[in-house]
Amino acid sequence: MDVAEVTTFLAKTTPFDQLATAELANLGANINVYYCQQGETIQLSSERLMIVRTGIFALYSDQQTLLTKLEEGDFYGYQLLLTGLSDNDNLVCEEDGLVYWLNADAFHQLRYQYKNIDIFFQRLFGRRLHQYKEQQQNSRFTLKVSDIVQARKIAIDGGQSVQQAATLMTEKRVSSLLVEQNEQLIGIITDRDLRSRVLAAGLAANTEVSQVMTAKPHVIDKHAYLFEAVQLMSRHNIHHLPVLDNQQSYSMITATDIIRSQQDHPVYLIGEIHRQTSVDGLEHCSSQISSLALTLGKQQVPAHEAGHIITTITDALTQRLIALAQLELGPAPCVFSWLAFGSQGRMDQSLNADQDNALLLEKEPAGEIAEYFAALADFVCQGLARCGITLCPGNIMASNSALRLSLKGWSGQFGKWVNSPTPDALLKASIFFDLRIIEGSRGLFNALQQDILARTQDNALFLYHLAQTALQRSAPLSFLRNFILEHDGKQKKGLDLKKRGISLITDIVRVYALAAGISEINTRQRLVQLAASGVMDSKDTQNLSDAFDVLAQLRWDKHQHDLAQGHDVSNLLDPNVLSGLQRHQLKDSLTVINDAQSSLKQRFCRDL
Amino acid sequence: MLAWLSDKNSPLSTIVQTFNQKTLPPGSVRAADCPFLIIDLELTGLNPKQDHIVSLGWLPVRKHEIILNEARHYLVQSPVSVGQSAVIHGLHDKDFQQAHDLTEVLTELLQRYAGYIFVAHHSQLDCRFLQVASQRIFGKMAKFSFIDTLNIELYRLHKQGIVMKKDALRLPQCLTRHKLPQSGQHHALADAYSCALLLLSQLKHSHADITLADLQLQSR
Repeated sequence: MDVAEVTTFLAKTTPFDQLATAELANLGANINVYYCQQGETIQLSSERLMIVRTGIFALYSDQQTLLTKLEEGDFYGYQLLLTGLSDNDNLVCEEDGLVYWLNADAFHQLRYQYKNIDIFFQRLFGRRLHQYKEQQQNSRFTLKVSDIVQARKIAIDGGQSVQQAATLMTEKRVSSLLVEQNEQLIGIITDRDLRSRVLAAGLAANTEVSQVMTAKPHVIDKHAYLFEAVQLMSRHNIHHLPVLDNQQSYSMITATDIIRSQQDHPVYLIGEIHRQTSVDGLEHCSSQISSLALTLGKQQVPAHEAGHIITTITDALTQRLIALAQLELGPAPCVFSWLAFGSQGRMDQSLNADQDNALLLEKEPAGEIAEYFAALADFVCQGLARCGITLCPGNIMASNSALRLSLKGWSGQFGKWVNSPTPDALLKASIFFDLRIIEGSRGLFNALQQDILARTQDNALFLYHLAQTALQRSAPLSFLRNFILEHDGKQKKGLDLKKRGISLITDIVRVYALAAGISEINTRQRLVQLAASGVMDSKDTQNLSDAFDVLAQLRWDKHQHDLAQGHDVSNLLDPNVLSGLQRHQLKDSLTVINDAQSSLKQRFCRDL
Repeated sequence: MLAWLSDKNSPLSTIVQTFNQKTLPPGSVRAADCPFLIIDLELTGLNPKQDHIVSLGWLPVRKHEIILNEARHYLVQSPVSVGQSAVIHGLHDKDFQQAHDLTEVLTELLQRYAGYIFVAHHSQLDCRFLQVASQRIFGKMAKFSFIDTLNIELYRLHKQGIVMKKDALRLPQCLTRHKLPQSGQHHALADAYSCALLLLSQLKHSHADITLADLQLQSR
């Protein structure tokens, strides 16, 4: 005698959705229902499976880090059921809810009878292990020794001669050796030792290594943090540290290794870019961008900072290319500003961004002036393309003559977009409203920006159309329903984090910023200004900013993953790779977007 | 499992006697620790003297958990046609071919759930029908200790100073207010389940050590 509400729920919950009606009723009869209140800790008093019916539950590790959130249709307790081992984790109810407890016998019988259900829970368990391990690794802020040294044990026996040591060092092109006896590390010898303790002391070439080596050297475990190695070296003023794995010699880490590992730092790369004297050189520099991105990822640099850094590098490349162009073409015949639009303009560029740029000229582009800037633009755009910033498929580039205009020309162009807007035209043009100067005259640029803001501020008709454009796409909330495990064979497409997420926020925020005459163009900065000036509710701007960060972080993580795997960088996210917590955050963020779109519609699309 | 039915030796009247003699939890005990039986009846009308029980649904709550394994739903053989009440509960005469004898059903109820605090939404009606039925069948009136989730809800809302709209105390409205899932209405077991969820939520939202006596006061 089943309770219809329970069986109906089970019937739409993976993996029970494959069961026949009679089986579902039987499953229901093995369930106890419990009401859990916010703040309550779930007691896993006996072996049984928890099925979340309603409410939200937060799972914490024994160190009290949030691992994941459970909600409708999620499970808990399967680890104990599958392995007999309990976790030290802690499940706390965050929002009142109902919990179904399925008893262990019924759970095991079900697994026994239905292979698919068994596989489902085994995978859930497997995924959980994987997820949490990864999360724990990521919670560290620095690199480990093993991240920068390879297993490269170059050792010599203590009984061999210093000459043999010198030969081995030369052969292996290293400056130091591990000294071993019976496979145990007993010391190290460096080329400096050979100089000061052997040659300078007048010892013979057949002196035993053990006589001149540094005995009982400081060592470091391969799992130690890099900063521990640095500390050890500077405290004892040494440059070589044997690296041990499980008390056995593994490798050697040197001061040079550490410095080299830090050279991925953007400051080094930008410095190097400005020293280049040819496009070839710049191309070579930019080949380091992806390894820099990986390092930034490992160092847990948040997505918005990474976006900023990547933009700064593109800016540096652009500036250097303009300088190189002028070396080749001679000085510019008039004052100009090199403009960037879109993500470079907003300083949230990602690894797969294409070029969006243009030229603003002091004088009308005619005759010599036209020719000069055509050549300059071509040089820079082609140069950027060689550096990995692909040509814009929509031809929004300075190399397009329609985008090399005087102040009057640009002002007229913006006037056309603002005064006779159509959603279709604006869809293409909205990117132009996020513009920033990269090189050239700031005065010229400021004049244009003031002109644009004066046109857009409180211009109801324009804002109406711009808002309409921002509302053309929506965040695919439905996409998230029950996506944790699709049945095999279903097509896996993925969520376009840019088109169906980040861009939607950018578009919404742009409307408010232009309406309020705010000159900031970075989305996060715009939100700060909008809240400060009271144009938007500070809670709404905070929500949007958080949602933006979550989506940008997911994209950044995705790009990192693509890079590490050697794939092309893509914005398509397979929701199945998300942890429960990420899924929860993603869902929240998409909800925030939908809410913000409704507010936008209310505010700008009402009276017309 | 069906031991209480095979106990044919006990004369009918002793069933009620045994039920009435079973000690109930004392008022001082924590309400949450009491065993509850949540019950709902579908009826042919509102008058216990004239109208009949069409179906019964029940499920127990022990140690804060609804035990679905003991959920029961019985259609009862009716001495008269279901008639007009079919409009409400959707049960028609043809559904009653597998119906149970009310004597059997009440025997199970009384033998199994002696010592339980009974719970219903608007319990007065259910209580009266059960009393009349036990009197008629067993020649002796069973003494039920009922608490009423409707009255508890009324008490709660009063205490919070909430102005009540019409229908605010009906079961579906209570479920919505407590953010609990809705069941199909006018099915005895579905309604008993909804009432059980409501009870669990009401208990959790009372002060943690609320005694049975306090709860009984609220439910008056």
